[in-house]
Amino acid sequence: MSETASPDFLLETRGIHRALDAFVVATAFDGPQAAFALGDGTLRIAAGEEWRTITAHDGAILALSPHPRGGFVTGGDDGKLRHTDPLGEIAEIAAFGSKWVEHVAAHIGDKGRGLIACSVGRAAHVYDAAGEKLKTLDHPSSVSGLVFDAKGKRVCASHYNGASLWFVGAKVDSPRVLEWKGSHIGIAINPDGDSVVTAMQENSLHGWRLSDGQHMRMSGYPAKTAALSFTRNGKWLATSGADSIVIWPFHGGGPMGKIPTELAGGDGILCTYVASHPQHEAIAAGFADGLVVLADITSQRILPVAAPGRGPVSALAWSADGSTLAIGSETGFAAVVDFSKR
Amino acid sequence: MPDTQAPDLVPVTVLTGYLGAGKTTLLNRILSENHGRRYAVVINEFGELGVDNDLVVDSDEEVFEMNNGCICCTVRGDLIRIVGGLMKRRDKFDGIIIETTGLANPAPVAQTFFVDEGVRAKTRLDAIVTVVDAKHLPQRLEDSHEAEDQIAFADVIVLNKTDLVTPAELEDVERRIRAINRFAVIHRTERAALPIEQIMDQGAFDLARVLEREPAFLTEDTHEHNEEVRSVSFEAQRPIDPEKFNAWIGQLLAEKGQDLLRTKGILAYEGEDRRFGFQAVHMIADGDFIGAWKPGTPRTSRIVFIGRNLNRPLLRRGFESCQAD
Repeated sequence: MSETASPDFLLETRGIHRALDAFVVATAFDGPQAAFALGDGTLRIAAGEEWRTITAHDGAILALSPHPRGGFVTGGDDGKLRHTDPLGEIAEIAAFGSKWVEHVAAHIGDKGRGLIACSVGRAAHVYDAAGEKLKTLDHPSSVSGLVFDAKGKRVCASHYNGASLWFVGAKVDSPRVLEWKGSHIGIAINPDGDSVVTAMQENSLHGWRLSDGQHMRMSGYPAKTAALSFTRNGKWLATSGADSIVIWPFHGGGPMGKIPTELAGGDGILCTYVASHPQHEAIAAGFADGLVVLADITSQRILPVAAPGRGPVSALAWSADGSTLAIGSETGFAAVVDFSKR
Repeated sequence: MPDTQAPDLVPVTVLTGYLGAGKTTLLNRILSENHGRRYAVVINEFGELGVDNDLVVDSDEEVFEMNNGCICCTVRGDLIRIVGGLMKRRDKFDGIIIETTGLANPAPVAQTFFVDEGVRAKTRLDAIVTVVDAKHLPQRLEDSHEAEDQIAFADVIVLNKTDLVTPAELEDVERRIRAINRFAVIHRTERAALPIEQIMDQGAFDLARVLEREPAFLTEDTHEHNEEVRSVSFEAQRPIDPEKFNAWIGQLLAEKGQDLLRTKGILAYEGEDRRFGFQAVHMIADGDFIGAWKPGTPRTSRIVFIGRNLNRPLLRRGFESCQAD
């Protein structure tokens, strides 16, 4: 197909896009619907050509996740944690005064069950799907990243000098403290449940293998890593923060002593966001110039999705079935691209 | 003059000063004055009074050490997060004002703007403004390093509550400030009243303007205690050899960086028509070529140190030895 020469071919033929005029802080899917959380406090929900605008916060939205009961949960710099349901009705889960709700995580269970967590300063608050507060977990310094493991058994928070791993169902809350000196600024848990990785202030990653306490150090980044994304099987960790997509092997003894795979590099443009495909060993990656690509790890083939020129990519997310990719940029570009077979 | 900074960087003003000096009064004056500019205000949780502003952020003043082998390199982790968050609603304000707690050491705040790439990419540190209480400053200087550090770091000093002291006391307190930092601009005020343009948009950390102001005249103190903060400056008439200077300043900052609170310099490099601007906060340095030397004026290189345990003859010899042969 000669017409694929245009790097916007996929966006033009299979995408729906909008200029939203505000920083896209995050994007997420609830079924086939994509939501874009913006710096102006609105949530834009895209269902095909129809995009709805819901004012979810008075200020900027800082964090977004799908809600276990459908719709989305958001945290804002207005100190609110809110649920926007599939009909667009907004309900307040919690309010924290003048403190920012900086991070939100959710575990989506079966039949509307699940968990929600948010961080406010040093505290992480955990709620059930109905919004009932289960517990508050205190940390030695502000929480900089918050994530549930794949089963929703544990929640892990990054902070200064390490991370804290908590059992959600524990009667007495005492965390397993994963220590490493320095400022940790983001976190991911391998879907296999055996390793925790953080991004660090000094342009590197740190990891802990939980079964034996082995430390992992992954360095060489020219910039901070804003996005950490494990592939579904946990074999690979895709990361931003270099002028290529840096993908660390979490198999065959790695990442210790292994060299990461670098894809879509060579232009000297920083990779700013990554999202692993929910089924295949493929990574969607966005760059500082607005370029978005899909990279296949095994074949190392790179498929352009959106051309440069629409602002640094600040958000990417896949629908759970892997058919649709949502893209957002710092300058308000937002798109939904359909990858399903036609 | 070509500016070294992109125009869309958000200016940041840091407001320091002891509890009771009048920091919050000054802050509320800045915010309430009819200047048409909107500020995001980062206040600490122990703020003295309410701040009436649309965009107020509570901070916890989390000082983090950097893992870069530099012992005094600390940053404000909370500010890195807050600046990142504020940038998501960049169109809602024109500048950021950061108020620190009374006991805060200004170094981590300043260093955050040198060290963190994300903060650097979006903001520029405009000036450190220190509010001091004319009546109580002598006592504060006796019992704490922080009061001294806040003066040492200042680009602008608001000498407040002048109505509570006699003219002689005021002269004395100003002399004490000058002994610590003779490069800052001092404004005498009552109830922190002064025109906003005397504290905002100072460009004090702009390399092109680091030594724009002539230091005030200083009569040498006869009894200098090494532990006290002092400021010294030197000049060199012959051009500077960049390699020699880098070797000297690099070693000096590595060895004495903890004592050197602020270093600023304008250098005439050999065979170069542009001025080289240099500044450092402790060990963290920054430098770049700035505008050309004015035609017909002497190309005099100058360097300023504000810090403790300053060995004046050694520093002078070191700087002079950087001149090209």
